[in-house]
Amino acid sequence: MANGATIKVLYFAQVAELTQRREEDWPLDQPVRGADWLAALVRRYPQLAPAGRLKLAVNQYHVAPDTLISPGDEVAVFEPVTGG
Amino acid sequence: MVIVQHEDFDVAALLAGLRERTAGSAGAIVTFTGYVRDYAENAATASLFLEHYPGMCEREIESLCATAQSRWRVQECLVVHRVGELRNAEQIVFVAAASAHRGDAFQACEYIIDALKTRAPFWKRETLASGERFWVQQRDADADKTRSWEQSSSTRDHK
Repeated sequence: MANGATIKVLYFAQVAELTQRREEDWPLDQPVRGADWLAALVRRYPQLAPAGRLKLAVNQYHVAPDTLISPGDEVAVFEPVTGG
Repeated sequence: MVIVQHEDFDVAALLAGLRERTAGSAGAIVTFTGYVRDYAENAATASLFLEHYPGMCEREIESLCATAQSRWRVQECLVVHRVGELRNAEQIVFVAAASAHRGDAFQACEYIIDALKTRAPFWKRETLASGERFWVQQRDADADKTRSWEQSSSTRDHK
């Protein structure tokens, strides 16, 4: 992809199993709302739909669904955390 | 101090180190240790696998410790969390808070472990004795606890 702007997407836990990927570069030319990007993700990976409560972190911070994702960002997708 | 590691940890050594670093100023150290148990009802847990998001995980826990230190008078917070394959009854997590007074130490320690469960990017995959494997789901009670800490913060008078 010549000169295309991208985001780096990371998948964790069940999300990584469902997409069968741990990371990928995703083309993104202009900022997009997190919720809108998540909808596009589920269109590409319909197997994620049953996972339901998908959460996003942008550049390693938890974000709300209306947060903007910009080219160059690191975006992580995961279900609610279960540590401790 | 925040440590995420595969290896088991020695609670006595961690406590001794914290005690030495805060000697003379800490009148109280409260510690919490979490262990692998049978999570599923009516089924024996054989093992847990803990996955994490390196970098974000440490930063998120550091941020919880900083919040604890801004809300209560705490000299030092120490968190050790394991990742990887853990057998039933093994240690998972250790949290300690050192303070001049026990009240601050108790609250800081409880806040950190409660908030860690809903904010630190760890995920548990459980394997039952039968061989069945599944990802553990977050408990509503854990999310409620973190929310109640946030609400008590917003109603509290800040110095």
